[in-house]
Order: sequence, then C-alpha cells, then structure tokens
Amino acid sequence: MSALIGVEGIEVAYGDIAVVRGVSLEVREGEAVAVIGPNGAGKTTLFKTIAGMLKPRAGKILYQGARIDGLRHYEIVKRGVIYVPAERELFPQMTVLENLELGAYTNYKSRWERLKFVLGLFPRLAERRRQMAGTLSGGEQQMVAVGRGLMAKPRILLLDEPSTGLAPLFVSELYRQLSRLKGEGLTILLAEQQVPHALSFTERAYVLENGGIRLFGKSGDLLGDPEIQRSYLGMA
Amino acid sequence: MIAILVDGIVQGLQLSLMAVGITLIYGLGGVLNLAHGQFAVVGGIATALFVEAGVNPLAACALGILSAGVFGFVVDRTLLLPAYRSAGEERLLLGLLITLGLSFVVNGFLDYKYPNISLTLKLATPSFNVAGITVRTASVVAAAIAIVAFVLLFAFLKGTLLGKVIRSIIQNEVGAGLCGINPGRIRTLIVTLSAMMAGLGGVVQGLFSSLGTEMGNELTSFALIVAVVGGVRSINGTLAAGVLLGIVNAFASYFVGAYLTLIILLGTAVFTILLRPAGLFAYRT
Repeated sequence: MSALIGVEGIEVAYGDIAVVRGVSLEVREGEAVAVIGPNGAGKTTLFKTIAGMLKPRAGKILYQGARIDGLRHYEIVKRGVIYVPAERELFPQMTVLENLELGAYTNYKSRWERLKFVLGLFPRLAERRRQMAGTLSGGEQQMVAVGRGLMAKPRILLLDEPSTGLAPLFVSELYRQLSRLKGEGLTILLAEQQVPHALSFTERAYVLENGGIRLFGKSGDLLGDPEIQRSYLGMA
Repeated sequence: MIAILVDGIVQGLQLSLMAVGITLIYGLGGVLNLAHGQFAVVGGIATALFVEAGVNPLAACALGILSAGVFGFVVDRTLLLPAYRSAGEERLLLGLLITLGLSFVVNGFLDYKYPNISLTLKLATPSFNVAGITVRTASVVAAAIAIVAFVLLFAFLKGTLLGKVIRSIIQNEVGAGLCGINPGRIRTLIVTLSAMMAGLGGVVQGLFSSLGTEMGNELTSFALIVAVVGGVRSINGTLAAGVLLGIVNAFASYFVGAYLTLIILLGTAVFTILLRPAGLFAYRT
C-alpha cells in the first residue's frame, strides 16, 4: 500500500510561536489513522495545515505523491481531501438539504446519488431535511458536517474531534456509521480526545504532545500501552 | 394620504435596490462600500449620455446599467484588491478608505466633465386616475421595476446553485471554503451585480424625479441607513427597511419639510438599531 497522504517534517507557527514542530505522518489508501493527544497539542493545527487553511513554515505535504502544501484550501478540496472541523462550520440559515447540496459543489453532477447515500447513512437528516441547520441539536449538526463532507465523495476524510459536545449515544451512533464508511474503503484521518473510541476504530495512531509526535504504532498496541493507559485512559 | 404612502413605498423600493448591493458586498467581501451611490450615479449619468447621443431610451437604460456593472467589475479587480488581501478589521478600514476616496474621485470627475448633465426620463402618459386618486405613471413603473428586480434576485439566491453559493459565503466563508468554493471569484460577480442594481436604482431615480451628478453621497447615505437598519447581512431585512424608511421619509417630507426629514430618518434608524441591534430580521442563535 502506498501513502495517500504523507506529511514530512512540517512546522506550523502562529506568528513566532510554533504550534506544530517537525511532525511527520502518513496515511495509506483505505486506512483509518488516529491522532490523539491532549487539548492544545496541535491536532487541529495539523489538520488545518493538511487541509490548506494554514501554511507550514517548513516541511512538505504530499498527496498521491504530489505536493499540496502550496495550494489554496478550496483547490485541495477539489482533489478529494475533505476536512470536517470540530467547529462544523455549517451554514446556519440554510436547510439541511442546502448544506448537503453545497457539500457536493466540487462534485455537482453526482449530487443526487451522494445525497441518497448520505441520507441512508444518517436517516435522521432525512427527517430534518427542511430544517435550518442552525436549529439542529449538536449531534445532528455533527451529522450534517460529516454528511456535507461525504457529499464531495472524498478520497480521504480529515475528521477533527467529531465527538465534541455530543451525548454518548450520539458518539456511538456516529462511530457506527464511520465504521461502515471505513468498511466501504474510505480513508480516514481522525483527531479525537475520546481515546478508547479512536483507538478501537483505527488501525494505527499517532500520539501528539506539545506539537510533536511522541509515540506512534498500531492502535491495538497503543491501547495496551501502560503509558497511554495512564495518560489517556485514566487507568492507574 | 394614499398618494404619499405610495410615493414612500416606491422611494423605499428604490433605496432597497441600492442598499441590497451594500448588504451583498459587505456580506461577501467584508467591504462597506461608501461609493455605492456613485455606482448609481455612474449608471444614471451613462444612461443620460446615451440618450443624448441619440440611443433609444430603453436601450440607453440597459447600456447605462451595464456601464455601472463594468465600473463595479473594474473597481473590484483593481482598487479593492489591497483590501481583499487583508482580513478582518484591517480589510474593513482599508475598504472604507478606498471606497471613500473613490467617491471623491467620481464626484470630482463628473462635476468637472459633465457639470450640466442630469437624467430625467419622461413617460408618455405622466399620470392616470384610479378610483378618483391621481397616480403618477412613473411611480407605478418604478415600483414595478424594483419589484421585478427583487423577485429575480430572490429567485436567483434561493433557486440556483450560484445563489446558494453566495448565501453560503455570506453565512460562513470558512464553511464555503471547506466545500471547495473559491470566494474571490464569487465576490467579483457580486460586486458587478450590486453595481448593476445600483445603476438600476439610478435609472429609477431619473424616472421618479431627476438624477444629478452630485447625488452620489446622498444616495450612499440613504442606502447605508437602509442597509444598517435592515441588518447588513440580511437581504429580506434590507427590503423591509427600505420600504419602512421610504414611507417615513415621504410622510416626514410632506409634514415637516426636508431638513427635519433626515433627522427623523436617522432617528428611526437609531431607534430600530436600539431595539434590534443586528437588524430587523436578525438571526438569533
């Protein structure tokens, strides 16, 4: 398997303060990879940089072997790298259907087929399709955000903290659908604070602390790692 | 009384035509356009020049509106570029300075080059009677033009992909980028479209009474008040605010005269903003 996304030694700074320092990681075709770590470790910065919303000060980002770190974020979307941020960034005064439709902007011809797929995945969105996105519950908004990302027919989905602010029931439901997507061959890079969910869902994981990769390996191994258990799973 | 009300509604619709452009440019580009009245004047005066050159009046109107669009397009692609390169407050301030400067330049140029040109469009039948009330044909035509323009605008924004894209950028530019939308291209389109609507507003002004080269600043101020009262990101609000302030304007001019009218208008604006800080139909989270 070749790397779909390769991040090579990137450094990202806000002004003079480097938030991500010398991070390298790769995601192979069809793989689900987690990035775990505490708040402020640089997970969101890393994701935004891959998505082209921030420019790295050093290092490069390869997608299918070609550099994408110089591209504008909307050009990266066209290539099939879709970022779903923790803030969701929906269009609050547009209906669920309109939000989803705009997700297919780069893939407009197959919007109906994608819509059928997304509504099949999240039947609750079909019930709410005429409702304004801003009036939905947090869990439903997260479904719209993921659904909008899927409308573009992504090659790789960058999911940033999809469980933020969701009731446990919603988190389980969301992960059930994500597993289904993974089963269908979608490549996923996931940042998550709910470490048990993240590690049981993915094949491999990176531990990001203070802007650098501290540890990486098979998710199953990390789940059994005493240090991980102590720091992230609340075990003594 | 009814005549005043009708006049107010017509004038309000005309103001809305201009204010909606301010709303769209601010919502999409983050620039509060202080030269918007000048867009209207450029459209109207261009129409007058075409009429003078012997062009059929209807075609002259179309050409005048097109001229305003070209003017808007050029401004967006040249003068506004430095503003677009910066973000947030800096963009807003830079945009204010650039468009304010532009309004001076346009005023000065027109005053120097065409001091005696104004646009006055005369209709074949100046007025008619409905149930004993005399109605000016120009009012009816002006209102019809404005209403058709708004119906088309709403249909465009609600029913087409491009319209939805425009609304999405106004609501959340980051979200639009995540969908693969390039806001820059859409912005140019919107500035051009807004300039054309302003040009249409200028032509309507010529139909309703008369449009002179010096009216740019006055039109900008009125349109700005309407846009702020309507909520600078809401198109429905802008339409409602235009009609409301148009009616207030008409009654105030009739009963207390022109000087106090502006104070009453501003008073209405301040009062509305105090009650609804984010505009008439502000979205509540």
